[in-house]
Amino acid sequence: MASYILRKAEPKDVSDILRLIKELAKFEEMEDQVILTEKDLLEDGFGDHPFYHCMVAEVAKQHQSTDGHVIVGFAMYYFTYDPWIGKLLYLEDFYVMKEYRGFGIGSEILKKLSQTAVRTRCSSMHFIVAEWNTSSIEFYKRRGASDLSLEEGWRLFKIDKQSLLKMTSEE
Amino acid sequence: MKFTISAAKPEDCKNIERMIMELAVYEKMPDQVKISHKELERDGFGPNPFYRCLVAEVPEEHKSEDGNTTVGYAIFFYTYSTWKGRTVYMEDLYVMPEFRGNGIGKALLAAVAKEAKDQLCSRLQFSVLDWNKPSLDFYMAKGAEDLTAKEGWHFLRFHGMALDNLAQEAP
Repeated sequence: MASYILRKAEPKDVSDILRLIKELAKFEEMEDQVILTEKDLLEDGFGDHPFYHCMVAEVAKQHQSTDGHVIVGFAMYYFTYDPWIGKLLYLEDFYVMKEYRGFGIGSEILKKLSQTAVRTRCSSMHFIVAEWNTSSIEFYKRRGASDLSLEEGWRLFKIDKQSLLKMTSEE
Repeated sequence: MKFTISAAKPEDCKNIERMIMELAVYEKMPDQVKISHKELERDGFGPNPFYRCLVAEVPEEHKSEDGNTTVGYAIFFYTYSTWKGRTVYMEDLYVMPEFRGNGIGKALLAAVAKEAKDQLCSRLQFSVLDWNKPSLDFYMAKGAEDLTAKEGWHFLRFHGMALDNLAQEAP
C-alpha cells in the first residue's frame, strides 16, 4: 500500500474520530456504551482545557476506504500521574481500520506515542486491554509491554454517576 | 474526631510524600517509589498541574503519635473515555491507620466525587490490588464495580527500557 501520514488531529476530524471510536467499541462488543458525541469531542479536545490529545492516520484520496474514508486510524491519549514515578502517558484508544492493517500503521503510531512519552519526560506508557483480546495483547507483549494485572494483581474499578451523586449528598 | 478536607498546597508535599511511602509499604512495593516532594511540588502546583490533591487534617490536640496533623490524602486527575467522555481517575486514597474509623476515608472519597460532579464527569475510576480486602470492601459498599472481573480489563504498560526501545524501533 502506498504512503500514509500520521498527524495531530484537528477540529475537522471529530466526525471521523467518532466513527472510528464506534468501530473499535463494536469490536470490543460494547458499541451501545458509546454516548460521546461530536460536540463533546470538539469541546473536550479543542477547547481551552483539552481533556485528551489525538493523532490520526490519513491516506491519500486514491487509497480511500471502500466506504470513502481517508482517516483510517487514530490514537487518543492524555497525561496522568503516578505518585511513585511521576508523569505517565495514558493511551486511551488505539485503532486502525481492518482493511489498513498489516502495513505497519499501528506500529508507527505506537512508536510516535512512545517518542512523545519520552520527549515529555514520562516514565511509562499505560493502557488497558480486555483479556480476551489476545491478538492485541500479543501485539503489545511482542513489543515489550508487561501485564500489571497479572504481575502485580491490579484490578480496575469504577463508580458510576448515580453512586457518585449519592456520596456527595450523604453527610 | 474533628477533621477538615481541603485542597493541598505546595507546603503539604512533604507530608504527601510521607504518606505516599506509607501506602506503598502497605501495597508491598516501597522500592517502586522514585519521586520526592520536589517532583510533587513541580508537577502538582505549576501552571499546568498533572494531578490534583486533597488532604485531611486534624487539629493539633489530635496529632498522630509521630506529631503529624496531616493524616490522609487523595490524588486524582481528569481522564477521558471515548465512550463516556470526561472521567476522574483516583490514583491514591489513604488514611493513616491510627486515624481510621472516623469517616475520613469516606469524606475524602466524597470530596473527590464532588469534584467529579462539578467538572461534569460521568464516572470515577481507580484500581485496587486483588488481595486488598479492606479496600475492596470499602469501595464495593460505595457502589464500585470490578471491571477486571466483570469485563476482563487488564492494565498493561511500556516502562523504562521497553518504552525507550519502542521509541527507537527501526521502521
